[in-house]
Amino acid sequence: MITVEGLTKVYGSRTALDHVSFEVPDGEIFGFVGPNGAGKTTTLRILSALLEPTSGRALVDGADVTEHPDLVHERLGYMPDFFGVYDQLTAGEYLDFYASCYRQPKARRKKIADDLLELVGLTDRRDQAVDTLSRGLKQRLCLARALVHDPAVLLLDEPASGLDPRARVEMREILKELQTMGKTIVISSHILPELTELCTMIGIIDQGRMRATGPVHEVIRQLTAGRRLRITVLGQKEEAAAVLKPLAAIHEVVMVNGTIEAQYDGDDAAAAGILQTLIAAGIKVFSFSQLEGGLEDAFMKATAEDI
Amino acid sequence: MNRIAIALWNPIVSKEYRSRMRTWRSPLAMTVYILLLGGVGWAIFASTAASARNSFNGTQAANYGQVLFLWLIVFQMVLLAFITPALTAGAVSSERERQTIDLLFVTRLPAFSILWGKLLASMSFVILLLLLSVPIFSLVFLFGGIELDQVLIAFLVTAVAALTLGIIGLACSTAFKRTLPATVAAYGAAFILLAGSLLFGLLFPTNIDQNATKAPAPPAVTYLSPLLPLVVIGTNGPVNGYGVRYGNFGISQGGGMACSALPNGAQTCYATTVPIGKGAFINPPQPSGTTIPSGLFSGWQYWQATITMQLIISLAALILSALLLPPIRHLPWRRRAGVPA
Repeated sequence: MITVEGLTKVYGSRTALDHVSFEVPDGEIFGFVGPNGAGKTTTLRILSALLEPTSGRALVDGADVTEHPDLVHERLGYMPDFFGVYDQLTAGEYLDFYASCYRQPKARRKKIADDLLELVGLTDRRDQAVDTLSRGLKQRLCLARALVHDPAVLLLDEPASGLDPRARVEMREILKELQTMGKTIVISSHILPELTELCTMIGIIDQGRMRATGPVHEVIRQLTAGRRLRITVLGQKEEAAAVLKPLAAIHEVVMVNGTIEAQYDGDDAAAAGILQTLIAAGIKVFSFSQLEGGLEDAFMKATAEDI
Repeated sequence: MNRIAIALWNPIVSKEYRSRMRTWRSPLAMTVYILLLGGVGWAIFASTAASARNSFNGTQAANYGQVLFLWLIVFQMVLLAFITPALTAGAVSSERERQTIDLLFVTRLPAFSILWGKLLASMSFVILLLLLSVPIFSLVFLFGGIELDQVLIAFLVTAVAALTLGIIGLACSTAFKRTLPATVAAYGAAFILLAGSLLFGLLFPTNIDQNATKAPAPPAVTYLSPLLPLVVIGTNGPVNGYGVRYGNFGISQGGGMACSALPNGAQTCYATTVPIGKGAFINPPQPSGTTIPSGLFSGWQYWQATITMQLIISLAALILSALLLPPIRHLPWRRRAGVPA
C-alpha cells in the first residue's frame, strides 16, 4: 500500500532524510518512531504530497506522490501534528466543508458527518463551534476530517500528543476501530508502549536514517540481544541464583524487586531446561515467564548507535 | 454540476460567507462604509443647498449634480482602496498562520480553486458594498447633469479597480508567508495603482511634439489609475493640463491661450492660434470629448484603457498566485509519469 524507496530530503546543508526506505502492506498499522527532528514529520509530509523530496520516491496505493499528488490525496487521509480550525463553524459544518472539498455529493455529506462524529464520539458536539472544543476533542475532530472521503490510507502525525491519559485511551480505541475497518495506518508517536500494543509494524528513524523496520516483535527481537526470564521463587533466592549462574546458557542473573531476572541464549527448549534444572535442585518455583525486550529497549538500542 | 458551476461555487466560497457574515465585523464595516459615503454626500448636498439658496436654475442644478457625483464616486474608490486589500491580503497567509492551509492542500481542491474561492468571497463583499451605495448615488439624479450610463460605467470602473486591488492583495498573500508584510505590500500596490500612476503623469509628462496633428495625452501609465477615468466620466469632459509638457519653450497651456514664463516669474500670454515668432509654436490641437486623443490608446475612452490595463495586471497576478500557491509546483512543461490504475 505504501512504498518508500531511497527517500532523501535536503534543506540547504542539512539532510533531513537520508535514503529512507520502507514498505507498509495493506491493512497494517505502521508505527513510526524516532526522537524529535529525526525526520518523521518530513517523511509524512512527503507521503502526503505536501513536500517534494530531493531524491527517491514514495508511492501511496501505487500513485507517486510527486507525479500524481491529486491521486494521492484521493487515497489518503492526513492528520498533521499541529493544525488549526476555523472560527465561526460548528463541528458538523466543519466536516461538511471538508467533505465538499473532497467532492463528496451533497446528499451524502450529512450522513458522512453524522457517522464520523459518532465514530469519534462527538455526536453531542455537532452544533458546537470548533474553536471552542478542547484540544482532545479537536484531535478527534481532525481525525474525523481525515476520514471524510473514506481513504484507504491514514497518515497520523503524533495524534496523541498533548492529550491527557483518558483522551489517549479514547484515541487508541478509535484507531483500533479503524484497524478493524481495514485501513492502512501510519502513525508517528513518542508514546512507545501504546505503539507496541497498537502497531503491527514499526520503523525506527533517527537523524534522517531508518535504523530498523519490520513487524514489531521481529524488530524488538533483533535489537534486544538475548532473551530474559523472570523467575519468582518461594524464599531460596540466593540458592536459585547459585543454581542458575553456572549454567552455560545463562549470561547474567540479577535481582529485581524480589524476583530473579536471568538473561539467556537459546530457544524455548533452553528455557524449559533451565526450569527443569531449578526444580531438580529443589527450588520452589512460584512463577517462571519469559520477558521480551520492550520497544523502549529496542528504540534506545537503535538510536544509540551513533552517540 | 459542470466545471464552471464547480469553479464558481466551490466550498471555500460558502465557508468564507459563513465565517465572514457571522462576525460583528462585516455589519460594522458596512455601516461605517455607508455612514462615510453618506456623510460626504450629505456635506456636498448641504453646501450645494446653501449656495443655491438665493438663485437656482436648471444649469446650476446640473453642475451641482456633477459635483456631487464626482465627489461620491472618487470617495467611494478611495474607500474601496482601503477596504479591498484588507479583505484579500490575509486570505492565504492567514490560512498559513492558522495552520489550516495543509488541510486544504490535501483535499481534492486544486490550488486555483482555493484562490478563486477566496477571491470570489472577498469580491462578493465588495459588490455588496457597491450595491449598498446605490441609494446614495441615486441622490445625484435629483439634480440631473449625470446620465445613467455614466453611473453604470463609473461603477464598472470602480468594480474592476477593486477586483484588481483584490487580486494584487491575493498575490501578496500568496507570496508572503505572514499577513502583516502581505498587507503592507498590498496597500503599497494600491497606492501605486491609484496615486503613484497619477504622480507619474506629473513627474514624467508627455512632451508635446510641435508638429503633432493630434491633441496631447498623458502617458499610458497614468491610465492605470481608476481616478483618471472617474474624473473624466464625472466631468464628462476632456483631460486638460495634466500629464503633458510643452517641450523646451517654457510655454504652458491655459484654456485658449499660450503663455510663456518671464525671468521675473511673471507670464506673458498670446492668442493660441497666432504664430509668435522664433522659439514659439503654433498651439497643437486641443483635446475634446472623453476619448484619449493620442498615444497607445488613441481613440479609446479613458475607462476602456483603464479597465484593459487593470484586467491584464489582474490576470498576470492571478497566474503568478496560482503558480506560487501549490506546495509542490508542477510546471506545465514538466514531464509526468503514466497515471497508475
